[in-house]
Amino acid sequence: MTSMPHLRDHLPFDHPLSPRDGFPHLPFLARMLVHYRADDLWQEDTRHLPASMAALRRKARVFAERYLIPASADIDLAPHPAIGQCHPKAHEILVEAGRQGWLSYFLPPPLGAMDWGRVSHAPVMQCCLVVEEFTRACGGLMLLLSAHHLGVMPLLLSGSPGVLLKFVRPIYQRCQRGDPHLVAFAITEPGAGSDAEDGHGAARYRPGVVATPVPGGYRLKGRKCFISGGDLAQSITVFAALQGEGMESWTCFYVDAGSPGFSVVRTEQKMGMRASGAAELEFNDVFVPDDRIIGGLRHGWALNRATLNASRMPVASMGVGFARAATEAAIDFARSCTLGGKPLLEYQDVQLHLATMVAETRAIRAMVWQEARHAWRPRQLRASACKFHATDRAQKVCEMAMDLMGDRASLHENRVEKIFRDVRLTRIFEGTNQINRLSLIEDWQGELLSGPSGPFVTGV
Amino acid sequence: MHIDPGDVAVLLEEVDSFAQGRVAAMTSRPEEPIPPEHLERLTAEVLALRILPDASDEDGLGLWEDCDHAHTMAFNIGVLRLLGQANAGVAFAWHRYALARAMERALGMDREEDGILGTTILPVGHYGLGRASLARWLIGRELAAEDSELLADWLDRHANTNILFAPESWRSVLWPVWTEGKVRWERRTRQRIDVLLSKAQHGLDEVSAYRIRAMDSVGNTASVVDAPSSVYARLLKLDMIGLTAIGVGAITKGLGMAREFAAIRKQGGKAIDRHPAVQALLGDAEIARNAGDVILGGYERPVDRIDLGRVVADRAGLFGRLCHAASQIVQAFGGVGYMRDLGAEKILRDMTMLRLQTGGMQDLHSFLAGWSGDWE
Repeated sequence: MTSMPHLRDHLPFDHPLSPRDGFPHLPFLARMLVHYRADDLWQEDTRHLPASMAALRRKARVFAERYLIPASADIDLAPHPAIGQCHPKAHEILVEAGRQGWLSYFLPPPLGAMDWGRVSHAPVMQCCLVVEEFTRACGGLMLLLSAHHLGVMPLLLSGSPGVLLKFVRPIYQRCQRGDPHLVAFAITEPGAGSDAEDGHGAARYRPGVVATPVPGGYRLKGRKCFISGGDLAQSITVFAALQGEGMESWTCFYVDAGSPGFSVVRTEQKMGMRASGAAELEFNDVFVPDDRIIGGLRHGWALNRATLNASRMPVASMGVGFARAATEAAIDFARSCTLGGKPLLEYQDVQLHLATMVAETRAIRAMVWQEARHAWRPRQLRASACKFHATDRAQKVCEMAMDLMGDRASLHENRVEKIFRDVRLTRIFEGTNQINRLSLIEDWQGELLSGPSGPFVTGV
Repeated sequence: MHIDPGDVAVLLEEVDSFAQGRVAAMTSRPEEPIPPEHLERLTAEVLALRILPDASDEDGLGLWEDCDHAHTMAFNIGVLRLLGQANAGVAFAWHRYALARAMERALGMDREEDGILGTTILPVGHYGLGRASLARWLIGRELAAEDSELLADWLDRHANTNILFAPESWRSVLWPVWTEGKVRWERRTRQRIDVLLSKAQHGLDEVSAYRIRAMDSVGNTASVVDAPSSVYARLLKLDMIGLTAIGVGAITKGLGMAREFAAIRKQGGKAIDRHPAVQALLGDAEIARNAGDVILGGYERPVDRIDLGRVVADRAGLFGRLCHAASQIVQAFGGVGYMRDLGAEKILRDMTMLRLQTGGMQDLHSFLAGWSGDWE
């Protein structure tokens, strides 16, 4: 008999046939090769990261557990807010997130809050670590915090020190003072969802938001829709075509939400991620001065695609966070729910189910980390592959969690149904997963069409 | 009253007219669930039309009142498919009400006057489908001690919390209980149940989710009756067939919406239904819907001639595909599909709820092992 806790149909660790019992008794050199310390998987993975990145991951988890988890359910259940209103708990989180640097971590001091110890690591990888932790806690609040970074991204990628000093620094400084200045990223138009994210579609699309030159700047006219965080943003990176020209003239304008002619005309009632608004924005001859053109005239399309390349890996990381949250909820359920006098965890089919969920979650995380680690200049193919695969698989993991929990999965208080509603969005935004598959091929076509044909030629 | 085979098509046309003209019309804002009083009013109409079993004890032509002929099963399935196409939540509420009435009749229970939609049914225990143990009991195998232990726990309504999805107006629930080594049936009034309303549930917004637990153990009260295992098997078949019909109806609605959208929405200079990416999404939905219709067609015969194992296997195979279809329909709409005022996301949520009913998916393989296995 053993005194060690163990599952009924598995050997306890102190059983003579358990490898956990055998490894420590092997010779020293053999022990060096095979004997491992079994620890919490999250702790192990974190330890394997470079120290500064491990610290970031731990810090993000602490923030998420302290601030996001307690507010998540209430905000999700709250009535749809009026335009411009922010749930008080969400506002508190924004303030605290700003103070702690979660709204300004893409640049080191004196501009932003990125720890100098992390400047040698790709910001996209840093973002992926943070996004996974925030997503695990609450998809909606994660998006509330992350949409801001998407809005700032064109400013960061503009390559202009002047833009960083003139626009990004004050945004980041206000956030760090606890007076969050949120920025939104506006590309999608009522007549074009995927056309704003796909070159082939854009080539045939007639732009909906048009910039007309006037003395000292441009006047924007038109509408953008489904803009995450657009309802609360103080400024917006808006992509518009120049009057009389097509999508090739797309230009990024940095618009102050206080500008005359700008209004939020609608916020959507979404299936999930309800803590973050999706807004329809109207530009009615909004004047934008010349110095708020970001990245130069007619460089907007490239800047848009670069922004998407940078953001799609973090979206993949949302998938990881959702899959992880669903798996954790399922594990908790399997441990606490009993049937026939024993926990579900004792049943072999439940063990098979959980094992698959854990493996799926870890597989997509491995993919995201593999790509994001080197994503100093994120490649479209890699970013899109991560995005569509991780989010597709994450939804599958969430479905598995629901199947395991049965009718209890449908109750809001058990979290998984919310996770499912939230994860569903990740397969749609930042380009639908169909568009991302085509985006992978678009970027890959050079290799696919060049060189000799035959097996073993194209690297995968 | 009875239905003649030749009447079925005509009757279903009338049901279709009611489903679209009244049910779909009264639930036309998917982001705003129908208020309970409106559901009651709609139910009064459907009772008056005798689509649902009315208050009399006479055999009628209402849903699940006659399951002993091919054409009446075609009618039952057709009704729920059409109602599911109009609104899955309303269809679910009426399905469970009609099923409760059918069980009351099968069990010889007196009809209780408990108002509109006052009776509902909880067909399973507190988690899953009783694994192989229930299947073994249903086919008359001698139960091992662990089977009895599992079923006693599974159906212990006092020790365990059960989840009930029902309209707000429910007053009593009919459920299987385990006493004296067998499944028996109890109708318990709401006053004798600890009831906790859940803050929200995933879908089927027209009903509410309740955590319920019997206030006391089941005794040999007059409200507990015996029935052969075939009665339980019949109930499970009807419930699963009904859930399938509602689901196929919901997918039919979603597919129609998505096709209309795809025909006019443009991307890359042409309608999106010209893009193979969208064709694949809609194709998945159509394949699932057609598979569902084939399966439903196989149920158009006397219910006692349908094998429960087949129904369970069909459910295990089909519901994943139906949920995938619902998700593909959302995807075909892109961003607008995620918004509550369109209705596509509701179909996905409703479909997921239907998947989680009657024990969900996790136990189905175990159940089949018990149903088909010959181990002692």
